[in-house]
Amino acid sequence: MIRSIIKRDGRKVLYDQAKIARAILKAMEATGEGDAESAARVANAVESHLESDRLSDAPGIEYIQDAVEKELMNYGFNETAKAYILYRANRTRAREANTSLMHTIDEITQVDAKASDLKRDNANIDGNTAMGSMLQIGAAGAKSYNEMYLLRKEHAKAFREGYLYIHDFDFYSLTTTCTQIDILKLFHGGFSTGHGYLREPQSIQSYAALAAIAIQSNQNDQHGGQSIPNFDYGMAEGVGKSYRRNYINILTDVVEDACDTEDLKDRIKAAVETVERNAAETVGLGNGPEFDAQMAEDLAVRFPALQGQDIAHFLTRVRKRAYKLTDHETYQAMEGFVHNLNTMHSRAGAQTPFSSINYGTDITPEGRMAMRNILLALDAGLGHGETCIFPIHIFKVKEGVNYNPEDPNYDLFRLSCKVSARRLFPNFVFLDAPYNLQYYVPGRPETEVATMGCRTRVMGNVYDPTREISYSRGNLSFSSINLVRLALEANHDEKVFYEKLDWMLELTAQQLLDRFEIQAAKHVYNFPFLMGQGVWLDSEKLANSDEIRDVLKHGTLSIGFIGLAETLTALYGKHHGESEEIQQKGLEIIGHMRDFCNKKSQAMKMNFTLLATPAEGLSGKFVRQDQQRFGKIPGITDREYYTNSFHIPVWFPISAYDKIRLEGPYHALCNAGHISYVEMDGDTSKNIEAFEQVVRWMHDCGVGYGSINHPVDRDPVCGYVGVIGDVCPRCGRREGEQIPQELVEKLRRMYPEMPAFQGIM
Amino acid sequence: MSEQSYNEKLGQGVGFERIRRITGYLVGTMDKWNDAKRAEEHDRVKHGLSVHA
Repeated sequence: MIRSIIKRDGRKVLYDQAKIARAILKAMEATGEGDAESAARVANAVESHLESDRLSDAPGIEYIQDAVEKELMNYGFNETAKAYILYRANRTRAREANTSLMHTIDEITQVDAKASDLKRDNANIDGNTAMGSMLQIGAAGAKSYNEMYLLRKEHAKAFREGYLYIHDFDFYSLTTTCTQIDILKLFHGGFSTGHGYLREPQSIQSYAALAAIAIQSNQNDQHGGQSIPNFDYGMAEGVGKSYRRNYINILTDVVEDACDTEDLKDRIKAAVETVERNAAETVGLGNGPEFDAQMAEDLAVRFPALQGQDIAHFLTRVRKRAYKLTDHETYQAMEGFVHNLNTMHSRAGAQTPFSSINYGTDITPEGRMAMRNILLALDAGLGHGETCIFPIHIFKVKEGVNYNPEDPNYDLFRLSCKVSARRLFPNFVFLDAPYNLQYYVPGRPETEVATMGCRTRVMGNVYDPTREISYSRGNLSFSSINLVRLALEANHDEKVFYEKLDWMLELTAQQLLDRFEIQAAKHVYNFPFLMGQGVWLDSEKLANSDEIRDVLKHGTLSIGFIGLAETLTALYGKHHGESEEIQQKGLEIIGHMRDFCNKKSQAMKMNFTLLATPAEGLSGKFVRQDQQRFGKIPGITDREYYTNSFHIPVWFPISAYDKIRLEGPYHALCNAGHISYVEMDGDTSKNIEAFEQVVRWMHDCGVGYGSINHPVDRDPVCGYVGVIGDVCPRCGRREGEQIPQELVEKLRRMYPEMPAFQGIM
Repeated sequence: MSEQSYNEKLGQGVGFERIRRITGYLVGTMDKWNDAKRAEEHDRVKHGLSVHA
């Protein structure tokens, strides 16, 4: 006689046959086989089964469930037996996930980030702080839930087993990745941050401050990086407003002095407005001599006291002073912007927003002033000369605008090379690459490609071909395929590899669509800034309670990949840096993936794009799993990471020119985003010509987005920035060593920008 | 504590900062990098500027 059973947690409880019958009935209802009576009959049989076994007076839960399965099959309820088995498996998985979640939270709470790789998954989050840990605990809980309840079984399996990586999985059910914020559209008429309404800015200082606020506000609505595609055009307007205000103020002072009177501001304003109306242009840095002549004429009539004075001359003085003041204000505004973005916190204070700004093509004097000053502020660094981590600066290179010596912004291109050679930014985006040039319309900066974060790019638009622009759009989500796994499984068989690749592409596209369904069902009110303030394309046409499905279709669903180099080595014995023939094989694989994206886009009328995945967290994840299964295979799984996207392996010796030449063609294929890096040796700031030559070679090789890495070290004691080997070239100390007081004083006289220390001052 | 805490000793115990790029953005200290990325940074070789490496 069964009197009691042992629960999973070890407790002994009273045996209750009705409970077994209820569970059986539930499974029967799900399959449509049987009813309450047959459920009771099976439950009875289970009880006799347990008694006849007589293994124990108190059987365990698992044992009872085994008996239920057997008896269901005995009675011919095959479908119900299957459903019951599946239900058990799911429950087991849920229990295991729950345990593993608790272990994860335990690690987040107890272990120092130095010892926990998990806590360093994202280098931008400080896993040791309270808010950083809270974010990580939230992420762990969300991931656990999402895998259990939101993923299809085959997607969960591919994800778990390391075929597929679903990026930003913690945000799976919550939001989308990123947006290019059209800062001018946002500013015109003012905007609300969700915590307060801000009037349209009226000076370069407030343009810069509000730009930082816009990035911060949007950061809380999305999980990816934030970018401004038109920083030059946007700030130009602020520079123009500041210049006009300074011009009027200085002119007022000068005229008041000349007339030996006061309170002329309103009359000067009236004069300026009259001339502006007649000349059909506002006061700005670019006014020609004709404008000033009209101004002189008007002033002479308005202020008889000025007669006999050289009005034209003092207007020149006014312009010089207004220029100088505006330039100074612009520098301060840009410096403040950079400082702001390096120190402001978002997402509960654990992160600095991932921010990017694009500029380079505005040829107005106001836009040029903004760019020159943002570059100078970047070059100067933070308070103690530290290199700025944010924002990412992206200089848009374009022939006819800034690429050739005769181009109007060539000086700024040169300056950007000089600053990048010292500070690692700007990166360079190349508008002349054919796949970018096809969208470019002169005079319409929204048709210029801009990038965000570390590489994401949005241009083509299958959903709405009349809106092939970079502004107000972004990526919705992306998932990356472990190409190396497919190659290893294919075991040198190209045909098998492509079959597996097609299977994975379909699976990934479906997973992205599933995620889209969740995103699309959200409402404007879920994104008070992104949608509520009209940052996202067409969102201004929606009401607060509308679904965002249709407007989201301007965004991209991206399929990424990692480890082309290891994939080629696994399939053909060499990677694309070693042989031109293998380079062709590499282009075939990536071209095949791009074709798939194009076809899927046409079929769904949605933007499926191919991404050269930025693999930070991912770089070690797949290879660890593949090592377990395949062991350490030389050139494939024998390192701690897989090579980023289509890159030539970082450890492979190759010239900068060959690396760029070989990687260039992949940029054309990866329309969701791409980047190529070159590692330069030594202090590049002392060899800017070489630096510029590398950038020009990128331009010529069809690279879409490129960047040059070089060592940037800093000695916080003497403030030296550059390459530091074992010994600081400025103060001569080794790491950790102290330097004599007299030396500090001598250095301070030579380098006034040296950091100030108490006791040294 | 800020770097100013080292003041009186004028650099004693103060290391050098080494800024590196990780998947597109800069990181000031490698303490926060994950193990795989650290290994990758360690393995990076410089690219010569001659036409042939």
